[in-house]
Amino acid sequence: MNAQKQDEYLLLFRGNEWYKGLSPEEMQKVASQWMAWFNRLTEQGKAIAGNPLESEGKIVSGKNGRVVADGPFAESKEAIGGYFLLQVKSLDEAVAIAKECPGLAYGAVVEVRPVAAECPMAEVARAEAQLATASA
Amino acid sequence: MSTQTQNEFMLLFRGDEWCKGLSAGELQNVMSQCKAWFDRLVEQGKIKAGQPLVREGAIVSGKNGRLVSDGPFAESKEAIGGYLLLQADSLEEAVVIAKGNPTLVYGTTIEVRPVAQECPLDVLARQAVREEQLVSA
Repeated sequence: MNAQKQDEYLLLFRGNEWYKGLSPEEMQKVASQWMAWFNRLTEQGKAIAGNPLESEGKIVSGKNGRVVADGPFAESKEAIGGYFLLQVKSLDEAVAIAKECPGLAYGAVVEVRPVAAECPMAEVARAEAQLATASA
Repeated sequence: MSTQTQNEFMLLFRGDEWCKGLSAGELQNVMSQCKAWFDRLVEQGKIKAGQPLVREGAIVSGKNGRLVSDGPFAESKEAIGGYLLLQADSLEEAVVIAKGNPTLVYGTTIEVRPVAQECPLDVLARQAVREEQLVSA
């Protein structure tokens, strides 16, 4: 498993269709609950960054990024609407915070990911190098 | 949320199996290319934040987050391996930056998303109210 950078966890807010059935009042209520939640976490020193994302953007792929598609548009449970970066002591604590997300009651999903100490490919590269040395 | 969000763009790196099957030499090569790409962007003042993510974690859903699973996350090519928060003048510039990432040739995709100036829920709520007013006028 990739070595984890101590103490940092990313909350990814997933789903771009859970709010579509809400009335404007409900949407505003959730929005202000969300802001209050973030502010509280920031005051406690548990949230060190966070941003909502515009729903449109681009998806770049292929050699030299030659394929650029508009997206993500499709209604999707996977689409990412925003994130918080937390500084807490454990995954359990990050999960406990994630459970407070005001969007959950409506169907939003929160993905909780520990921040890695180094890029995953560095670990794979080391493993490969060891194999190469072993079989040399 | 963040107060200086103008001209901020998120790059979300998707695909967590692209480096499997590469030789040690190829991996070293890609890594040094990535480092060079990243260092250049830092020098240009384009990088505000960025981190790789561990391939594990948790998925929280349901009322009060009563459902917690270990994953698996989205299928492998959708899985997010890391992100960068960029300072750029436009979405087009952010896309050009993304195109320079050396992992693309191995099958990763990079999602480029502008950081929103205000909560999208508030924006949607206002739009819905305006539409209601138009309909009832």
